[in-house]
Amino acid sequence: MVVEIQINNSADARSRYLTWAPSACRVRVTDPTGVPAPVVNLRLSGTSTAGGGQVQFRQGSTGTFANSILLNVPTNGTSVSFFATGRFGFPSRSDRDVTIEARRGNTVVGSVQVMVRIRKNANTLTTGERDRLVAAFAQLNNQGTGRFADFRDMHTAVASAQAHGAKGFLPWHRVYILDLERELQNIDPSVSLPYWRFDQAAPNIFTRDFLGVSDNLGTVLFSPTNPLQFWVTDGVQGINRRPFFNTAAAPGGGLLTEAQTIALGTAYPAFRTMEGNPHGSAHVSFGGSISSIPTAARDPLFFLLHCNVDRLWAKWQKQNGRFNPAVAASFDSAAAPIGHNLPDSMWPWNGITGGTRPPTAPGGALAVSPCVSAPGTQPRVQQALDYQGTLNAAAQLGFDYDDVRF
Amino acid sequence: MSKKRRQVKKSTARRRTTSRKRAISRTAAPSARGALAVATSARQTVRARVAAMADATLAVVDDDQALQSMLAVLRDRKEPIKVRLAALASLQAASFSVVAFESCRTDYTATLRAVMDDPNAELRQRVLGLLMRDKDGAAQKRLIAGLESPAKALVPPEKALQLLGYDPHADAYRLARKIVKDPPNETAKREALRLLGADSSARPVFEKILRDKKEAPEYRRISASALHAIAPDVLQKHAREIVLDSSESEDLQAASLTAIAQFGDADTISGDAELMKRVGRMRSGASTKVKQTAKRLLTKYGQ
Repeated sequence: MVVEIQINNSADARSRYLTWAPSACRVRVTDPTGVPAPVVNLRLSGTSTAGGGQVQFRQGSTGTFANSILLNVPTNGTSVSFFATGRFGFPSRSDRDVTIEARRGNTVVGSVQVMVRIRKNANTLTTGERDRLVAAFAQLNNQGTGRFADFRDMHTAVASAQAHGAKGFLPWHRVYILDLERELQNIDPSVSLPYWRFDQAAPNIFTRDFLGVSDNLGTVLFSPTNPLQFWVTDGVQGINRRPFFNTAAAPGGGLLTEAQTIALGTAYPAFRTMEGNPHGSAHVSFGGSISSIPTAARDPLFFLLHCNVDRLWAKWQKQNGRFNPAVAASFDSAAAPIGHNLPDSMWPWNGITGGTRPPTAPGGALAVSPCVSAPGTQPRVQQALDYQGTLNAAAQLGFDYDDVRF
Repeated sequence: MSKKRRQVKKSTARRRTTSRKRAISRTAAPSARGALAVATSARQTVRARVAAMADATLAVVDDDQALQSMLAVLRDRKEPIKVRLAALASLQAASFSVVAFESCRTDYTATLRAVMDDPNAELRQRVLGLLMRDKDGAAQKRLIAGLESPAKALVPPEKALQLLGYDPHADAYRLARKIVKDPPNETAKREALRLLGADSSARPVFEKILRDKKEAPEYRRISASALHAIAPDVLQKHAREIVLDSSESEDLQAASLTAIAQFGDADTISGDAELMKRVGRMRSGASTKVKQTAKRLLTKYGQ
């Protein structure tokens, strides 16, 4: 007897990635040899390598998750649905470090290797996680003419009004870093974008093997084994970043902590003032590219900074239940420029140019994910809110943070 | 345009944008206005004013008067330098709120240009960086002038070269070539090489430095990086030769292995028996960084 397990309802190996949000899965008998009954009783459970991710299951779309479940699966090949999720607090460290097994009695009759792929604190990545991220970034940047150039061109002075200074700031950047993360995953599916928690010391980020060490001039230096030494943007080599703080400690300088940021208010208009502090304050805790909008995206640290901004929003959403665009406090009803309102499509993914939009739309449509279908290739502001699919499972965007539960 | 007309135009624009800002941005929280009052008051201690500057950011994007008072602090040479630097940081943070800040940008840029000549070197450097990242022509001219006549320099040559890298062009390349040949210091040579990396005609300069064992490893690695952008196939050829040369420095061997592993053509590399044999030996070599990159390359090619 042989059983096939499909993760995210797909036979595609690239879809075998889980987050804290439930993933729709299915199991079916592909070879019933040796089982005369019309239905077979199977137990699904996960086994992990040391320090690897952990998974949980439930049969229906509601109820609690358990370490294993029993399923009655027809032997005629009909699929049976179940849901799998990463066990909170136990993300994977490497690709396919969890195996989901289907057992009939004590016999394994089918298995699939998966990864609980979660955005983590960049300061705590393993060497392997760090090196894979850096290699994927370098590949995306390739000669400054790779796909990264589009991300660079999306975040410029001419386009900044689409993404800053109004209520769409958080949704736009959520989609922006998701697009980048999906492109990194096209290079190495085991990579997820980590965050720079700028209210804590993060000495492991500012090393020659990771995002580099700045000299007194602000030129970032890398070890000869780090592929980021070949980083090029706008035709110019290297990265300029001059910290105004000791990188063994947190920036300080009045930068709001996580607790202070989340306490800005329970309604979105109050919370989104975080665009100034801590977001703007984190940017200007350095001199160099990252401290100005037109050049900030030249520095890969920019994406880790914004991942933390997004994590703070996710944490605030979770704490206050702000996933539903129909709930007033989840967003802001005040008048805003185009691209910042809930029903608005977002530039550049919508491809609209001219008029109230920038003259070009670099990068084309949003990268698709083999794991989830949302938000589609031309996202709207409202689609950024329910990122875990809390209200609608089909709305999940396919990412999660290590310290924000489903 | 006369000065009076400019003022009227500016004032009309400000009125228009102020009402727009009210629509876009909610009134600054009382705490932000309180922070602004502390930050801009000469009666407060320097410490208190610096601490208040970050909280005052929100007030700056919300109110023209607040912005003007912050710009006045930045301009005023009698103000303590710590307060002026904190005011600059607060204005920078506010500038990230583009829609609300856009109406103030003209005044902001004018103030930055005014401060470009400030006696304080740190403030000068930060302001020049901000202007150059906006590709400001006036700042660019001053940096070029400083490289041509050191007496006119606002910042050291290495800083000027680094800042010119935000908008490289022919004049900057010409000066960078001159500095590579006759550098005032080692860092200036490094920055000149980094700037030249944007000039595709500089390929021979980089090939020469990369293969010159007498050059500092740092310059040679910059040359490798520049070649990767200008002529990636040429870099791959040199990187292979460096890996095969057992008398090469460990830094260059590690960097070359990294270039090959990360960017090399998979078919060419896997079919290169001589290279793979050499890398196989390097896996058990003495240097940790060489071993590490050799192992990475071999893992990638299934060996």
